[in-house]
Amino acid sequence: MSLTAIGAGIAAITGIGAGVGIGIATAKAVDAVARQPEAEGKIMKILLLGCALAEATAIYGLLIGILIVFFLQ
Amino acid sequence: MGELSARLQEELEIKTVFTIPLFGGIDVNQSVVVTWCIMALLLVVTLFMTSGMKVKNPGRRQLMIESFVVWIQNLTGDMLGEEAKQYVPYISTILIYLGISNIIGIFNISPPTRDLRVTIALALMSIVLIESAALRKKGPKKFLKSFAEPMAVVAPMNVLELGIKPLSLCMRLFGNVFAAFVIMELVKMAVPIVLPAALCLYFDLFDGLIQAYVFVFLTSLYIKEAIE
Repeated sequence: MSLTAIGAGIAAITGIGAGVGIGIATAKAVDAVARQPEAEGKIMKILLLGCALAEATAIYGLLIGILIVFFLQ
Repeated sequence: MGELSARLQEELEIKTVFTIPLFGGIDVNQSVVVTWCIMALLLVVTLFMTSGMKVKNPGRRQLMIESFVVWIQNLTGDMLGEEAKQYVPYISTILIYLGISNIIGIFNISPPTRDLRVTIALALMSIVLIESAALRKKGPKKFLKSFAEPMAVVAPMNVLELGIKPLSLCMRLFGNVFAAFVIMELVKMAVPIVLPAALCLYFDLFDGLIQAYVFVFLTSLYIKEAIE
């Protein structure tokens, strides 16, 4: 049980990548909106798309974590 | 700890509501029943809102539904672009359904998108729509040729993408809703009052609507890409 818990914990490390990615994307988006406030709608759309794609890695980590916890007992 | 995980597993299980006594028993899941309820709700609201429409002197109800329809058509029409205008009704329907089913957790009903089978079905519908849109626009010969674009070397990648697109679509939706559900259940067990209400605003309302938007946004982006 303890080893599967460690495995699930390691799978949760994928969150780092998604966090850093979304952070950078949001920082750049804030920058872009500050420079060109009139392009806010377009920037928002691209930001959402980028966040959704960056987040996918974290979701795969979650999925692996769930699979480990439920199926490797 | 053992008691907590047992309780959590009980909450996470998708319950069978009833069994249809046909072909050796068909299990009807909670998510299917909730989907039926959402469908009934939408149908009743639609019938109520569209009854007694007038060209001259529209009532308040008609103005409300008209502005909503225009808003959602503009939203999805912008995502799809001019060439894919005919897919606006489908995309809008999916957006409304996903929006309602993601925020239904507020009323303590288990969201249907928490069930992996529901999101798999939605993603399969999306990929069939994307590929058939491309097939309709390009014709069979050009459609097959489009797999070898921009170079013949990337053809395996393009074929792989057929599986990866729906996989990431369904996993993204399921993962987000499921993670929100698990976190909310854990918080409810630890702190039963005040805190869940605040977190519910983020996890159920904000995240649910964002994920519904992202799902239809990616679907319409793929459609747009496919018919170019």
